[in-house]
Amino acid sequence: MILLDKNTKVVVQGATGKMGGAHTKRMIEYGTKIVAGVTPGKGGTQVHGLPVYDSVKEAVEKTGATCSVIFVPPYGSLDAGFEAVDAGIELIVLITEGIPPQDTAKLVAHVKANNVKMVGPNCPGVITPGESLVGILPGSIFKPGKTGMVSRSGTLTYEIALALTEAGIGQSTCVGIGGDPVKGTGYQEPLQMFSDDPNTEVIVMIGEIGGTAEEEAAEFIKKNVKKPVIGFIAGVTAPPGKRMGHAGAIISGGKGTAESKMKSFEANGIKVAMTPKEVAKLVGESLKTPVKA
Amino acid sequence: MNLYEYEAKQLFAEGGIPVPPSARITKPEDLAKVHLGWPVILKCQVMSGGRGKAGGIQKVKTLEEGKEVAKKLLAMTIKDSKTESLLVEPIVNFKKEIYLAVTIDRERGCPIFIAAADGGMEIESNPNVQTVAITYPFHPYQGRALAHQLGLKGAVFAKVADIAAKLYLLFEKYDLDLAEINPLFVTEGDDVIAGDGKITINDDAMGRQKKFDGWQDKHLVDLPVRERRSKKEGLNLVELDGNIGIICNGAGLTMATMDMVKKFGGNPGNFLDAGGGSDQEKTLTAIEIVHDNPNCDVILLNILGGITACDEVAAALVEFMKRHPNRKMIVRLRGNNQDKAEKMLAESGLKLYPDIEDAVKAAVEAAKTKQPVGAR
Repeated sequence: MILLDKNTKVVVQGATGKMGGAHTKRMIEYGTKIVAGVTPGKGGTQVHGLPVYDSVKEAVEKTGATCSVIFVPPYGSLDAGFEAVDAGIELIVLITEGIPPQDTAKLVAHVKANNVKMVGPNCPGVITPGESLVGILPGSIFKPGKTGMVSRSGTLTYEIALALTEAGIGQSTCVGIGGDPVKGTGYQEPLQMFSDDPNTEVIVMIGEIGGTAEEEAAEFIKKNVKKPVIGFIAGVTAPPGKRMGHAGAIISGGKGTAESKMKSFEANGIKVAMTPKEVAKLVGESLKTPVKA
Repeated sequence: MNLYEYEAKQLFAEGGIPVPPSARITKPEDLAKVHLGWPVILKCQVMSGGRGKAGGIQKVKTLEEGKEVAKKLLAMTIKDSKTESLLVEPIVNFKKEIYLAVTIDRERGCPIFIAAADGGMEIESNPNVQTVAITYPFHPYQGRALAHQLGLKGAVFAKVADIAAKLYLLFEKYDLDLAEINPLFVTEGDDVIAGDGKITINDDAMGRQKKFDGWQDKHLVDLPVRERRSKKEGLNLVELDGNIGIICNGAGLTMATMDMVKKFGGNPGNFLDAGGGSDQEKTLTAIEIVHDNPNCDVILLNILGGITACDEVAAALVEFMKRHPNRKMIVRLRGNNQDKAEKMLAESGLKLYPDIEDAVKAAVEAAKTKQPVGAR
């Protein structure tokens, strides 16, 4: 497992909001060690039996939390993220969707300068099945096991996790890195962590069209990852040119199609699955004790 | 949201970036009120690229000639973008054209300058393109770093560096995804002037960029009618040429579902991501929009509930089938309150497919056979 285990102490920024509150309840029910909520102005109250503090700093001092999951609205996320970094949080999981990318870029720069890890934004979060769930993933779909997953997508990750679980294949940790162009964690860091993790045997990498992160990760895998990796790319049928700016095209340099990513996977020794069930089949064959899916 | 050239140039001027004097006209006879001397250039205001090649930029020598040409240009549609107005500018005599842009580099995760000292032709493959990653907080020296990389000297170095810095400040102030000057003219007298401008405002920032309140209606005119409607409803629709309408929650799952439709022998008619946590009303709107596409023979709804509750989706489906009992509909629902949803759907004559592959295959089959309603 990586990033999270049953001892990870988590604060929830935005725990008293509608979405934050609902998911705080679900995370507690899953068994995540949620220790506090943070909502400025609501310090001293409670949410789902947890203390609420006015600041992340106070929550960290009182509870020893090392992880913060952020559910605040898009235009408040830059502020909330800076607050978490400056309070000494080590892992931020930023769920919020719709943050303007320049805000994210500013936050990412601050996160990196302080050696903090950030997953997201616009992500489903992280789950180490049976131990801890931080985010909005549906816990019941996952089960403990030896397959690590890293993905840019939310519901597609659930779909593939479901196919694995139904085939009897459990997961060590699943990391939803998020669908925004600018993000805290790309593929490479989780890939390296899975590669080093003794409880992970096989890695599933889920990508989609746009950018060149998958191509770069494929080259990284060939050099650094000594475990089998199964790849899945969504968007073979997506039309080209949608929402691609003139200056954006220049950076991608013709890369970014599903074909390019799949070719890059194959060229670097990553098996490519075409359906979620095929992912389960290929993973099953790659495990040390093969599972027939 | 993309801006027209004249709007981009208004922003440039506001930010202190030199632009040519200009006038904007919407009727040929208004050219008589323009006092820029002769000849002038008439430029179609459209959203699409390739305007020059399509004949959307014309030089005219007299008022008489100008009125005639303006009439033709105002009637032009370039790559589905109807001419909104004409921008009238004097001719700029230049010795050099530079390409200059600020955008977000997704791989580096920061804003960057992109520039080429030899202009914007074939910018994607130009080997002389220079980039500078912008660090926070921004200082004007970062513009000078770019001008230096471009190999500029003297007055032109200072002017281009200053314009680059000002372009970045606009980029940050207005939450832009792209601020592009192409071309940036260098005149015989070493003046540096923005010849054309392209600006994209980040859609997620529209809620806090009050300057652009109410602009959306005017600027989404080039989207197909259903895509525009979706955008207003907070749904993400892209129409394709197949006959199987697709609605899912989440972009990755929607694309994967399209790919599976293709893999199993069907043709996706659209991409529609209804988003996570869509409620009954939003789901109903999504189905109605896909239903309105005349090319769509079958609708495939694939919802894997994380946040989304299946019974909310089912309630939307029940209502939809009441309105359109003849619509062929294949439903895959999985997640919270699935059992409840199944019962609700059974009453509307809809079968619930828990498995994604079964649902996709059923949709492909239904699209082939033109069998009647219900798609059991």
